[in-house]
Amino acid sequence: MDLFYQVLDHYLIRFYRITGQAEVDFVIGTFVLAGLCLLMGEATVCLAFRFTRKRLEQRAAEAAKYQDLSMEALKAGNKEAYQAANQLANEAFGHSFFQQVALSAAFLWPVCFALAWMQQRFLEAEFPLPGTNWSLGFIGVFIIVYVAAYFLFKRVKKRWPDFRRMKARPGASLTQGRENEGQSMRLPQIRQIDQKNN
Amino acid sequence: MKKNTWILMGVAVLLVAVAALVLTGPAEAGKLEEAIAKTPTGTGPGQINPDAPKGFMDIPGGPTPFWFYGILWGIWVGWIFSTVGAFGGIMAGVGHISVFGLGDYAASFRKTSPVLNKLVTDSIRTSNQYLVGLSALMSSVTYYRMGRLVLPLGAALAIGGIAGAYLIPVLTAGKISLKAYVGYFGIIVLVIGCFLFYDTTPAGQEKKKKAKAAAQAFQAAVKKGTGAGDIAAQGVRVKSWGLTRIEFTFFGVEFHFNPVWPVLGGFFIAALSAFIGVGGGFLYVPFLTSVTNLPMYVVAGTSALAVFISMITSIFTFMFVKGTPIDFMFVGAELVGIAVGSIVGPYTSKYIPDVWLKRLFVVLAIYVGLGYTLRGFLEFRLPGI
Repeated sequence: MDLFYQVLDHYLIRFYRITGQAEVDFVIGTFVLAGLCLLMGEATVCLAFRFTRKRLEQRAAEAAKYQDLSMEALKAGNKEAYQAANQLANEAFGHSFFQQVALSAAFLWPVCFALAWMQQRFLEAEFPLPGTNWSLGFIGVFIIVYVAAYFLFKRVKKRWPDFRRMKARPGASLTQGRENEGQSMRLPQIRQIDQKNN
Repeated sequence: MKKNTWILMGVAVLLVAVAALVLTGPAEAGKLEEAIAKTPTGTGPGQINPDAPKGFMDIPGGPTPFWFYGILWGIWVGWIFSTVGAFGGIMAGVGHISVFGLGDYAASFRKTSPVLNKLVTDSIRTSNQYLVGLSALMSSVTYYRMGRLVLPLGAALAIGGIAGAYLIPVLTAGKISLKAYVGYFGIIVLVIGCFLFYDTTPAGQEKKKKAKAAAQAFQAAVKKGTGAGDIAAQGVRVKSWGLTRIEFTFFGVEFHFNPVWPVLGGFFIAALSAFIGVGGGFLYVPFLTSVTNLPMYVVAGTSALAVFISMITSIFTFMFVKGTPIDFMFVGAELVGIAVGSIVGPYTSKYIPDVWLKRLFVVLAIYVGLGYTLRGFLEFRLPGI
């Protein structure tokens, strides 16, 4: 692995030597590193979803089915049916949730390798916070820059055709909603409820 | 929804800012260097040879688990997550403690360098959490964006969770020997194994069959009933906040809960997760449904967020308040493996029924749990533990 980092170091460190100003270069270099992590993570997730989409959707659909049933039972005042359906929904959700948790590793693995490289390069680096006695280490700077890069990347992604296709991810069907406030949400198998009786 | 989004983003930014304010790079190197300096030099067990190549945590002579084995074990952890549906964190812990020899390495310093023994133990605990906590981040963001989060419930869980996840590392970091940690880890795994075992017994299976029958009977009744059509779903609307009662509607149906329970539950679950180093995610859902009787849609996003917040708090407290070092490269290799395992899992589960997967895990959990309990408290080792 050391050889891997030695090769990578030669290219990555160039982004930290652009302007000649240490603090500025560090932020720029870390931003580029965060961007690379985001790109690699996104590509890995897209690849992972190609193989797991069907199964994830099945699990999510099962959870949604029992969830809808539990809500209908609730509105009908059938407590036994509500608890039964809710229990099944939770079990199905548990599978779906942990599967997605595991898949999330596909998005975040580059971050650890980036931090490992930065640990070798910038362990002693400190950024004093103005007006305080505190300072930021390399991890703190990376986290802040990564979060900023993530939100920027999200906006860029919307305009990128290949990423737009991956927008509706499996498991999102479990809680699919509209992003605009006030719009109705459509779920499968919902029956119209006589709201006057509730 | 927009207002809630801003509130939650503000909380997230505040969390990051507070965490960032206590970050100091050299603290983590300093604490480890200090511990290494105090350890006797030599080549025997419990000693450090300063001329030896650096291994785990950059300790000279430390174990150097081959990164590929990290990927392989990560595949196993990811497979467990995506098939059994939980408990991957326990397998991550088993890997760190037993498979990669980190537990034995920490144990070798028990008498010669207790500080290093406890520092390596803390690193193992935190590494376990990384694998679950980072991943829970993505899920909670997804569920929150979909608007299935009850903010007051999430806040109550988070308050308890942050308190538990902060206090336990502060109170226990640097104080728990590997021996004690392994013993408690074993007890928790045994308890989890017993609960899971119940699920696979005829009584446990009967309970599930009854639930399915009741749900199917109701579904059949609904199909005969009123006509189809979409209803305007209102999502979560909070009606009133109070110290002892919070009311909200979901799908037009009113729910309420006492916020004290989620605070307490969040505290104990997060404290357990922070102490042992495994997720706690599997505890939030049954807690929320059994104590509050809330529907799954509400529980889904809220529990994901609770797992994420308590994990992140715990990780930051271990690393940045207590200066626990982490081997990022190894954790990264494991994450790669988890991603692969999460892809393989759905394919294999087509051929292996859920109940047999659970039985497999029960056998493992009982063996591992018993083994660690015996090792930790009685210094008796089962093969492979």
